[in-house]
Amino acid sequence: MSGRAHQDASRGGLVGVLLALIVAAPVLAGIGYAAAASAGILGASADGASTARITRVLRDPATWSGFVWSITVAAMATGIATFAAVTAAVVFRGSRLTDRIGLALAALPLPLPQLVAAALGVWVLGQSGLLARLAFAGGWISAPSDMPALVYDRWGVGLVLTMAWKETAFLTVVASALLATRTKAAEDAARTLGANGWATFRRVTWPVLWRGLMPAVVSVFIFVAGSYEAAVLLAPSAPLALPLAIADRAADPNLARRGDAYVLTLLLLGMALVAVAAHEWARARWEPLAE
Amino acid sequence: MNTGVAGTASRSLASLRAVLLVLFALTSIGPLLVLVVQSLGGAWFFPALFPEHWTLGAWNLMKSGDALPGALGTSVGLAMATAIVACTVAIPLGRALARLRGWPRHVAAAAAFLPVAAPPLALGTGLQVMLIGLGLGGSAAGVLIAHSVPAIGYLTLLFLGTFTVFDARVEDESRTLGATRAQTWRRVTLPLLRPQIAEALIVGFLVSWTQFALTLVVGGGEVRALPLEVFAYVRAGQDQRAAVGALLLVIPPAAAFVWLRWAARRTVVPFS
Repeated sequence: MSGRAHQDASRGGLVGVLLALIVAAPVLAGIGYAAAASAGILGASADGASTARITRVLRDPATWSGFVWSITVAAMATGIATFAAVTAAVVFRGSRLTDRIGLALAALPLPLPQLVAAALGVWVLGQSGLLARLAFAGGWISAPSDMPALVYDRWGVGLVLTMAWKETAFLTVVASALLATRTKAAEDAARTLGANGWATFRRVTWPVLWRGLMPAVVSVFIFVAGSYEAAVLLAPSAPLALPLAIADRAADPNLARRGDAYVLTLLLLGMALVAVAAHEWARARWEPLAE
Repeated sequence: MNTGVAGTASRSLASLRAVLLVLFALTSIGPLLVLVVQSLGGAWFFPALFPEHWTLGAWNLMKSGDALPGALGTSVGLAMATAIVACTVAIPLGRALARLRGWPRHVAAAAAFLPVAAPPLALGTGLQVMLIGLGLGGSAAGVLIAHSVPAIGYLTLLFLGTFTVFDARVEDESRTLGATRAQTWRRVTLPLLRPQIAEALIVGFLVSWTQFALTLVVGGGEVRALPLEVFAYVRAGQDQRAAVGALLLVIPPAAAFVWLRWAARRTVVPFS
């Protein structure tokens, strides 16, 4: 490349990055504001630059129990959804009618907004929901209180199951598209070279599938971890999921504590930044294979 | 022996396929049926498996002065405006980013993904202050701006993908034949990109359509979009109205899903 062309490419790259930063600017500005408000410089409860608020919130065990709870629930929902989606995509990858029906059924919840999925979680998994009614009809329980609490429960079972159910649909669509377009030639080559079905899946199908699926898996994780509507309808009040803790502090009757919401917002946005980095890393690893 | 092993494996796979088919049928159709039955059922108390009677009462509220029709109109208006704003911004951005190579491309893609990944509540908390400063807090215009932030992120990524494989030589040929930039855009680029733009408008519409936390935080409860009404009904235990609202929320994404699958099958690829 000549010096002039190199200079043009560098300038073009810089302009492109600046343009992309315009897209990210509202989030970056939000991070900046939350940081300033956390440090007591800006906002309704600004009381002079200090790290006191940040220290207090970060030393509060409730902050970390909520943070760990949110991450754990998101990881479990994502893990279950990934397993179910890969299973569905692999088992129904043929061209028979049952394969098409299987994939369509797995993808059926895809158009549901998270709010609707969460409402269905309440109506199906709640102690007087559909599952409890079926259990009563089957003679397993005699009152709603006999039904194990799956909604607002300490372990977030209802939230995990609901989000896993909803996100299985998205991951199934991605996984089946990858299987249909990206693995066939390599699998045929492996089978020709004598590999059996399981070895072909383990050594060829899965590595390619996982690389292609990883950006979607990261997206699902952060969507679940950051979901407010699903948490508010299905999560317990202790530990308080991070999005709920933000809303709770932002409306605290004690005005001095409202600024705590910004520290928690920074934690949630920090989680999103890590997810963005992981997503881009996964996407960059996949890009050469996708070409 | 090998035939025996292969036969056993094949039978196991067939059994697994049958089990999964039943499982997905129950878990996918069952909850959706609950939604439909809930919207058409009268009193439906534990332990009844079906409502005591059937009624169109909640659906008839759509014809009256209930909150749902107004919320539906607000959501449709916001979603259409968001789709147009986001598409207008994302097309040139996506095109500019698609020209990048190496680390600038990674930084740009990550920057475009940031508003998509940022949890709406956290995003709203930051945006709310700025929009209040601009006098747009609690207004539909403020909510439109807020919805446009993640929508632009989604659509920029979409057009980044589109323009990465777009063959710009057809534009060069058009310019060589004497067309102006505007003519080339209108007569060559736009017709080639029509399916992608239609897809982007749908995605932009749906990003706004499903927003709950951003509308709540930035709209301050003043902008009553459909998700807010559905949420209020669920919390208040007005399940019948909530189910009607929820079904209304599901219709556009479901229609879009069907259309996108249909369009994907018949798209003629005009790209390299």
